[in-house]
Amino acid sequence: MAGLEFRDVRKSFGAVAALRGVSFAVADGESHAIVGENGAGKSTLLKILAGILRPDGGAIRWRGEALHLASPREGLERGIGMVYQEMLAFPNLTVTANIFAGRELTRRGRLLEREMRRRTEALLGELHLPVRPDALAESLPAAHRQLLQVARALAFECRVLVLDEPTTALTDAETQHLFAVLDRLRARGVTLLYVSHRMPEVFRIADRITVLRDGGYVGTWTAADVSSDVIVRAMVGRDLPTRAVGAGARDDAPVVLEVRDLTRAPCMRDVSFSLRAGEIVGLFGLVGSGRSELLEAIVGLHAAQTGEIRVGGRPVRIGSVRDAVRHGIALVPEERGRQGLFFNLTIRHNLVLASRAARGGALVRGGAERAEAGRLLRDWRIKAPGLDALPDALSGGNQQKVVLARWLATGPRVLLLDEPTKGVDVGAKFDIHEIIRRQAGAGMACLVVSSDLPEILALARRVLVMRDGRLRGELRGAEATEARVMALATTDLKDVS
Amino acid sequence: MRSDTSRVTGRAAELAPPGAPAAAPGAKDRGRAVLAALWEVRELSTAVILLLEILFFAWYLWPEAGRPHPFLNFPNALLILKYSSIYGIAAVGAAIVIISGGIDLSPGAVIALAGVVCGALFVGSGVPLPAAMLAGILTGGAAGALAAVLIVTVRLPPFIATLGVMGIARGAAFIITEGRYFDLSARLVGGWRPLGIPADWVPPLVMLALAVVFQILMTGFQWGRAVFAVGGNETAALFSGIAVGRVKASVYVLSGLLAAVAGVVLAVVQGQGKADLATGYELDIIASAVVGGASLSGGRGSVMGAVLGTLIFGVLRNALPQIPGATFYDRLIVGLVVIVIVVMDQLLLKRRK
Repeated sequence: MAGLEFRDVRKSFGAVAALRGVSFAVADGESHAIVGENGAGKSTLLKILAGILRPDGGAIRWRGEALHLASPREGLERGIGMVYQEMLAFPNLTVTANIFAGRELTRRGRLLEREMRRRTEALLGELHLPVRPDALAESLPAAHRQLLQVARALAFECRVLVLDEPTTALTDAETQHLFAVLDRLRARGVTLLYVSHRMPEVFRIADRITVLRDGGYVGTWTAADVSSDVIVRAMVGRDLPTRAVGAGARDDAPVVLEVRDLTRAPCMRDVSFSLRAGEIVGLFGLVGSGRSELLEAIVGLHAAQTGEIRVGGRPVRIGSVRDAVRHGIALVPEERGRQGLFFNLTIRHNLVLASRAARGGALVRGGAERAEAGRLLRDWRIKAPGLDALPDALSGGNQQKVVLARWLATGPRVLLLDEPTKGVDVGAKFDIHEIIRRQAGAGMACLVVSSDLPEILALARRVLVMRDGRLRGELRGAEATEARVMALATTDLKDVS
Repeated sequence: MRSDTSRVTGRAAELAPPGAPAAAPGAKDRGRAVLAALWEVRELSTAVILLLEILFFAWYLWPEAGRPHPFLNFPNALLILKYSSIYGIAAVGAAIVIISGGIDLSPGAVIALAGVVCGALFVGSGVPLPAAMLAGILTGGAAGALAAVLIVTVRLPPFIATLGVMGIARGAAFIITEGRYFDLSARLVGGWRPLGIPADWVPPLVMLALAVVFQILMTGFQWGRAVFAVGGNETAALFSGIAVGRVKASVYVLSGLLAAVAGVVLAVVQGQGKADLATGYELDIIASAVVGGASLSGGRGSVMGAVLGTLIFGVLRNALPQIPGATFYDRLIVGLVVIVIVVMDQLLLKRRK
């Protein structure tokens, strides 16, 4: 049945063609995934569908009728609801006000608060969201804020729900909750358009999968008849070589970092582990398990209350990131936008900032700096318009590589990585994994925190699991399966004892 | 009403810890429920601060037996209200701008310009007073519209746009007066009594009326909700289909209009239109809105809070000079008060969460 149809949709920003004639159709009631690397044109397509951008050419038809949307409001009125990747909530407004923002129920301009509250209660019940309608959005956990957007789409009885990477900020349990909600919507005949980088999610949700690459349409596959390898190959346009799992250091390599009984209540307690030269160790835990706090305590961002850190066998005091760098420890932080990049500084400055700070000295030697930055750009295959461009000009994957390169330039012996491939496309993810493996091959000890369990299992030779601020176990080699790691990360204390 | 109260009581009883005397519902629980509800009303803490301030000065300035109280008397209260309301009327607009995530630096200059335009037409050209006042108010609306165009269309940051408008408005006032001032009182023989209301009562009543109207518009109407939404998350507002440009334009035009209302009222009540009136008021007005709970990062605040904030400063400005030896300290104390109140507010906010 004719549902949503894209016909030769084109859009350019200046000289850059974001969409070069994309045509495909989504059947009514279908669950359809759109995948592609960053820059493939997915977001542009969605923004056109939502009425935020207008296409340069082509048309979108909905049930046989042409859609000419001038604003997101018209999109909503035509029954197209969006769930965006970013947390688009109004932190200062209540749950009810968030759901009805821009389309409040009114009588002669006056808000019908009671009616809106009543409908919100019904919607929250439908979504199994344990949230008060009067709670402020800022008091909700990330997942609930994301589900507010779904509730909002439901409030307007949307026939099409478009979800743009909705799980980026969600934990696994929260993702499962979202999927359960989506399943119920599908059963009701709502058409889903789902954009994601994560293959397991795409196959979990979608009936059919459309691949975009470089602004062009590559093809559409029926999910049941295709493997994720085929889709990934279509996305990147090349074969990604696979690597043997768990390669790397031997057990007799020297210990470079040893953490003993590190405690910072209530985030983490009595954490002890060690890293050997040349090994990649995974650290897995759900959001709130204390994994980021552990990394931040090691590099001196938070003072630990008790415990000891040894580098190369000698106890060290690390009271700041400067101390950490001096002892050869570097942290690539979780949020490159907030904790990593300086968007007001050029890529060159972003690259050399940490190594220069570590070296000290008052004078800036432009030539040497330029040479170093240029070398980093080449070494780590960072695609940038130039050394003097701003980080805005880079794709997410290349931004992440800039942050990674910055810390590698300090010459660390221990590299801590917090979600190193969060929100980057498949190609960049592969490159980042290669960089980590190369560093380990050269003798660096790497600790990788990731919510992406397959990523950890592919990279690491052993996996540490954290829950409620404590290390719950270590799994090595073949015993590290998704099921066992997950079990350690989620089981309640009482079930273990 | 009665059933409502009993429902609240019932819930409070359910929440009572096990083992607590179950047969003691009533006054205590009801009191607690009422307190909890009041705790949520943000304007209340501003009102409490104002009350404490008044009590403090009433105690501190208590006269020797047999002499009149220099602070706690009706004419003084009216004086405070009259002078505060010039700030207060403009603060209604300033609060709305701040809630929308913007800032307006022009109210002081617009107050002066509106008064001068009103005076020039009334005194210089013989236009009837109501028409002259309307012209003055519309001039303020035009200044606000200019700021709106600069911010929404030209996309200047509000700070810069309204800094520019501040200069233009103040400059226009000087050009119109050419260094003189317009003496309205000379032409207002027998004083000004609109609708039979004494002139001194007019500014406070105008302030009260505007505060009530805009408090309701901001909390109960779609437009006000949109202002909060734009201030809370502009991108989300855009993606939600809120006409962000129109909302932002409306708050600056409104701020200009309200400052101009303050300006013409000031000109008529004081009896003069002068180009250098209300110099530096913009910062006091912004401070009042912030003390009244507005957050300069947008999305938070209230019109009533801002008006109460102007009263807090009005009382300070009135009472401090009456304290012997405090003459040189009053500016310093006003500065400290801003900091203390905002810090207290942040602490309260944290505890509430």
